[in-house]
Amino acid sequence: MSKSLLLISSHPEDQAFAVEVALTAGLSLKQVKDPKEGVQIIAQEEGLIVMVDVSSETEYQIFENAVQEGVGLFSDKINPNMIHFLSSEDLEKVQYLVQSPLFGHYVVRNFSDPKESGQHYGRIMKATLAERSFGLSHLLKPGSKVQVIKLNTSSQKHNAVEAIKAYLLAAKFQSRMATVIANAVDELLMNAMFDAPVDDLGKPTLSTTHRATVLTLEGKSAVEMHVGYDGKYVGISAVDFFGSLDKVKLLSHISKIYVKEEYKIRTSLAGAGIGLATVFRSGGSFFFVSESRLQTEVIVFFKRTDNFREFKDQFRFISTQFYF
Amino acid sequence: MVNVTKEQKGNVLVVRLTGSIEETVNFEQLLGPPPPEMEVNCKEVPRINSVGVKGWIKYFQGCQSKGTKLRFVECSTAIVEQINLISNFTCGGIVESIFVPFSCTSCKSELVGLFKTSDLKKLELKLPDLKCSKCGNKAVFDDIPEEFFGFLMR
Repeated sequence: MSKSLLLISSHPEDQAFAVEVALTAGLSLKQVKDPKEGVQIIAQEEGLIVMVDVSSETEYQIFENAVQEGVGLFSDKINPNMIHFLSSEDLEKVQYLVQSPLFGHYVVRNFSDPKESGQHYGRIMKATLAERSFGLSHLLKPGSKVQVIKLNTSSQKHNAVEAIKAYLLAAKFQSRMATVIANAVDELLMNAMFDAPVDDLGKPTLSTTHRATVLTLEGKSAVEMHVGYDGKYVGISAVDFFGSLDKVKLLSHISKIYVKEEYKIRTSLAGAGIGLATVFRSGGSFFFVSESRLQTEVIVFFKRTDNFREFKDQFRFISTQFYF
Repeated sequence: MVNVTKEQKGNVLVVRLTGSIEETVNFEQLLGPPPPEMEVNCKEVPRINSVGVKGWIKYFQGCQSKGTKLRFVECSTAIVEQINLISNFTCGGIVESIFVPFSCTSCKSELVGLFKTSDLKKLELKLPDLKCSKCGNKAVFDDIPEEFFGFLMR
């Protein structure tokens, strides 16, 4: 049975975006404006993908209440992996979404080009429909080549980051863009090397280990970096084999900013806890895929633009896909 | 990885940072105990990662608590981004001058212009266009003004 994308929104731009997303993901599109009507459809149909406008807390609350009354928040009719929130607000301003039990995907409504953004996001959505969403190649335009780099020790991170920067400069990214992306890769690799490792009980084993420590990355501790560029978007992933990503911690870190609040150093942890939030605010989009105890893949996307202003203000999303 | 050159000018320790600030940085070792006054030149810092930020704040907060007068000069765009993202990144110090990014409207070249923060405030963020050093055409400010100059409005 073919699956459908249900758009719950009255924004014309959401519709233009959703049309492209559905087309790219191979889904039929249904649209309603009223969340209650949307939840009635969710209750009746199997395997719907839901894209919902939750720009304000009131709109979110109406949706959540309708879900609770219509199908139940924790029913098998609704699954965060299949819910895509649409909002015009930055992540730090939508804490009601960050704390939502329904959070799966979050799309910032700054589609400068809904068609192009929709195609890019459609590939992400299509990947989430597969049994497992791992792999970078199908998230870029068809035919894009992906290179895999296996790191043997943590001390190779610096060279890997510099190699990415050189690769991007060769692909005609502005040097400032290349630096921002290189920094994003630095954060992803550091997390894969030092934050992912856990013991059999799921307790982090390297959380207090100084980040300059040289680690051997073998067996379960192996770390891979995948990089691909489709002419518009560069996608770079860091892969670890612990499958320990914690969604609550992840969303708490990525939505926390210190523009007004003071950043307090936690000496009990070796990491800084600000890397992913910085990447998201500098224009990057994330796709986190994690299968418990097996593998985590964190992919960051950046679009090449003509100038840095457009780069920083580009279409962005945070997508998560967790398998247990 | 970052290198440091130090020069004592009267009461002021002038330090120049060169290179990426990463997890290997040890400011205590590189810069020594907090002096009465320090000028930190950040022109050649292209990148700073999150653990580098943590090391930076740890060291300069130590300086702040010892009463060091801190001045940050010729801050690169990477440093300006951190000043904007982390409210206490300068640890009570003064940001004296920053590099502002420009982009040529014709050949798309990247340029930077050095501005004193006091002048930027006087200009009310209405920056003059620059002449592209490569093709001679107009280069315009290339970032989001409210974000790049956010720290000036705090």
